[in-house]
Amino acid sequence: MARHAFPLVNRIIAEHAGRESVETGELLFADVDRVYVQDGNSPTIARLYREHGLDSVFDPDRVAFVFDHSVLVPNRDMADRIGEAERFARNLGVRVYGRGAGISHLVAMEEGWFVPGDLVLGSDSHTCVGGARQSLALGMGATDIAAAMATGRTWLKVPETVWLRVSGTPHPALRPKDVLLEVLRRFGSETFLYRSVQWTGSWAESLSEDSAGSVASMGVEMGAKCVFLPPRPRSSEGLRSTEAGTDDLVYDLDVSELMPMVALPHSPSDTVPVDRLAGKRVDYVFIGTCTNGRLEDIAEAARVVRGREIDPTVHFVVTPGSRDTYLDAVAAGHVDTLVRAGALVTPPGCGACVGTQGSVPETGSTVLTTMNRNFKGRMGNGGADIYLSSPLVAASAALVGHFPDGEELRL
Amino acid sequence: MTTSHRVMNVHGVISTDDIIPARYKHMYTKPEELAPHVFEHRFPGMAGEFRQGDTLVSDSITGIGSSREQAVSALLGCGVTVVIAPKFGRIFYRNCWNLGLPALEMDTRELGAAEKLEVSLEAGVVSTGSIELAFTPVPQLMVDMVRAGGMLSFVLAGGGPVSAANKGMRA
Repeated sequence: MARHAFPLVNRIIAEHAGRESVETGELLFADVDRVYVQDGNSPTIARLYREHGLDSVFDPDRVAFVFDHSVLVPNRDMADRIGEAERFARNLGVRVYGRGAGISHLVAMEEGWFVPGDLVLGSDSHTCVGGARQSLALGMGATDIAAAMATGRTWLKVPETVWLRVSGTPHPALRPKDVLLEVLRRFGSETFLYRSVQWTGSWAESLSEDSAGSVASMGVEMGAKCVFLPPRPRSSEGLRSTEAGTDDLVYDLDVSELMPMVALPHSPSDTVPVDRLAGKRVDYVFIGTCTNGRLEDIAEAARVVRGREIDPTVHFVVTPGSRDTYLDAVAAGHVDTLVRAGALVTPPGCGACVGTQGSVPETGSTVLTTMNRNFKGRMGNGGADIYLSSPLVAASAALVGHFPDGEELRL
Repeated sequence: MTTSHRVMNVHGVISTDDIIPARYKHMYTKPEELAPHVFEHRFPGMAGEFRQGDTLVSDSITGIGSSREQAVSALLGCGVTVVIAPKFGRIFYRNCWNLGLPALEMDTRELGAAEKLEVSLEAGVVSTGSIELAFTPVPQLMVDMVRAGGMLSFVLAGGGPVSAANKGMRA
């Protein structure tokens, strides 16, 4: 078989394991190109380093620590852990992106850490964002990351590849997030479990850079080991999707018939068209995260509320995903627009997504957010009901104080 | 080697957020600090019911979502020594083996009613006393990692199937 006929994941693993080719299901060790760590796992990694007598990394220029989950540190225990982690990172001499630099995956994207064909590990499940640039980008736990930091290597099993071919002409209100929520509704979290997903088709090929990152981020919600988006239309670099063979699994989705979707508490896969909930009260709207905290998302939120005031009973929080996004949003006037409309625009980072900093929702309240997960307790209160949507649906809800109907979606 | 375990059942799809809410991983690094908060939102009160040597038996996909290894260390802190489920989330599965907690993939419909289970990693079988069931075979690498006391000890000691062999082969 010609080498180019192997799926992207096989090619990348083979190249990093010093092999001509690898087969699905093979277990082997591979060299990693870069490793990055977020603040939730860095205290544990520091402890593992201490316990195993480690004091260096395989290449300080290829290891980064990003402080994103607890930007405004809310209590003493976390402050102590974050302080330890910062000192640990600086002593190692690795790259440090301090509080306010942004979400690790957005920082990695901006800093060019996702090179097409590279193997990148992150200590966060949404590292799959790197699939937008055709990196084999894998989220792992603290022990895996500590081992890779120390040795520059990791163990991998070669996953089976499937193709997700998405085409059609989207309705003007349809956003990439809606397509993801439909994919989760239709295929659940087992269809793609432990598989490599190559997105193809005219819809996937036409996505903007921001949208591609958004789609890639939810690979983990699909259960995938990794995802690969096609290179951007005018991009000169990048790896094109390989063709599916006749025996390969190809899933098709036509976006033409789809409408904006919402995920119900407490699973991203439990999704319905937003119409189904029209009129239901919303208490708290949060726009941000590694799925929808990019400039395109902030711009959409600003466009929706421009020149208006949100429902005064809604708590409306917008968190730009990175410092660059924040600065671009300021320069474009989006932050001004949002603040005048009644939004609380917070420093860049993971924001309210994980309950490790404000704003924690009230017990019994209904939250509508652009996050990628809504597991019970996710935002720090198991008594809140969390719904997921696109920034368009979320910002429209902030204006009217309830889930919008078709008329209330501000296009 | 065969080990014996009391069964603790959980039902439905289990995320790592269900096992340990995120904020605790930012507060604590030790298993014994995490253990009291296991399943805090999903199954309130369950954390206090675990005993050393328990096996967690799930009837659905287990460990989806966040990469937090603390989901595994928290279960270890509760005394759980085997996890059995029909399917696992990828990162949780890695983390289990990396920390020395065998994660066995198999149909669990006939296991949930049992009070105790006997597990043999080498033979690849789980016994309820009345029936014996096979699980998806575990690669030798995983067994070696558990024996070495976890992944980090294993690789730092130079373990691995192609150890050093592929070093330096890339430009």
